[in-house]
Amino acid sequence: MLLAVLQGVSELFPISSLGHTVLLPALLGWRIDRSDPTFLAFVVALHLGTALALLLFYRSDWSRIVAGLWRSVARGRIEDDPDERLGWLLVAGTIPLALVGVFLEEPVKRFFGSATLVAGFLILNAFVMFLGERLKRAERNADVTLGALSYRSGVGVGLSQALALLPGISRSGSSIVAGLLAGLDHEDAARFSFLLATPAIGAASVLELPRLFAPAAHGVLIESIVGGALAAVTAYASVAFLTRYFRSNDLRPFGWYCLAFGALCLVLSVTKVIA
Amino acid sequence: MKILALVVAIVCFALCIGYASGVVQFAAHTPGPHYKHAVVFAVLGVLGLVWMRFQSGASAPTAR
Repeated sequence: MLLAVLQGVSELFPISSLGHTVLLPALLGWRIDRSDPTFLAFVVALHLGTALALLLFYRSDWSRIVAGLWRSVARGRIEDDPDERLGWLLVAGTIPLALVGVFLEEPVKRFFGSATLVAGFLILNAFVMFLGERLKRAERNADVTLGALSYRSGVGVGLSQALALLPGISRSGSSIVAGLLAGLDHEDAARFSFLLATPAIGAASVLELPRLFAPAAHGVLIESIVGGALAAVTAYASVAFLTRYFRSNDLRPFGWYCLAFGALCLVLSVTKVIA
Repeated sequence: MKILALVVAIVCFALCIGYASGVVQFAAHTPGPHYKHAVVFAVLGVLGLVWMRFQSGASAPTAR
């Protein structure tokens, strides 16, 4: 259940959920077999819960976006409507992640599972956020609104999410930084990041859904349902908090957290205190 | 551009069938059918058709 809460919070906070699911069990001495079908089924339920929470939180946005997409397809062209534009920006941003995710997820998982590397990537995640904030502050141009974001920038923000295949690099962190560099303010960059997260997490969990119903996973069905519900509640609370937070705050506190936690885990891993 | 969109859609649907049947193994890490790859290419194929529709002037407003 602690893993479920961790997933719900860390998936949306820019602190890397994947990194935390490697580092925290190592710190707490939990022995988790990541290839075990029961564990994989549990993880699918957690992701599904997170995606449903995002869908619920942005339900009015999504209903307008889907209606906008449908209108533009029916009409045969995209008009200057913010919902249609946002919908196609999300499509443009999701395509690169889908391709990179499908082709590179497995090899990346295989090569970057050690606590030392994950801790190193968490520190890198901190510096990415610090650099993003520094570049944003140095920018002289006025902020671009989400409705005026170019498709090229949308693809760039979407592609930046692929960095999160490296455990320790946060999907929301990298996409918010990419959004800031594309000219968005913190609020719009976070909104775009969370909207992009919905198809990304949702599709990933739907595609893995057969794992949840595999015979080997029947023994953890109740745990998976409860875990998924818990992840959904914490993810909903997280996105509600973060959308308010980014109205007047920036990424630096998360950067300091990642730097401190990453450095601690790196020292413990190098000194063989954690595996 | 309309032809390019059609070509993209056809290639994506062909890859979808190839991955689903296990014939295409490009960048796959285990032998056999790869449904995840197939679904992604099916979606890309549909988007290719949508792109083709955007390129065609079929539904542009006509002058009366």
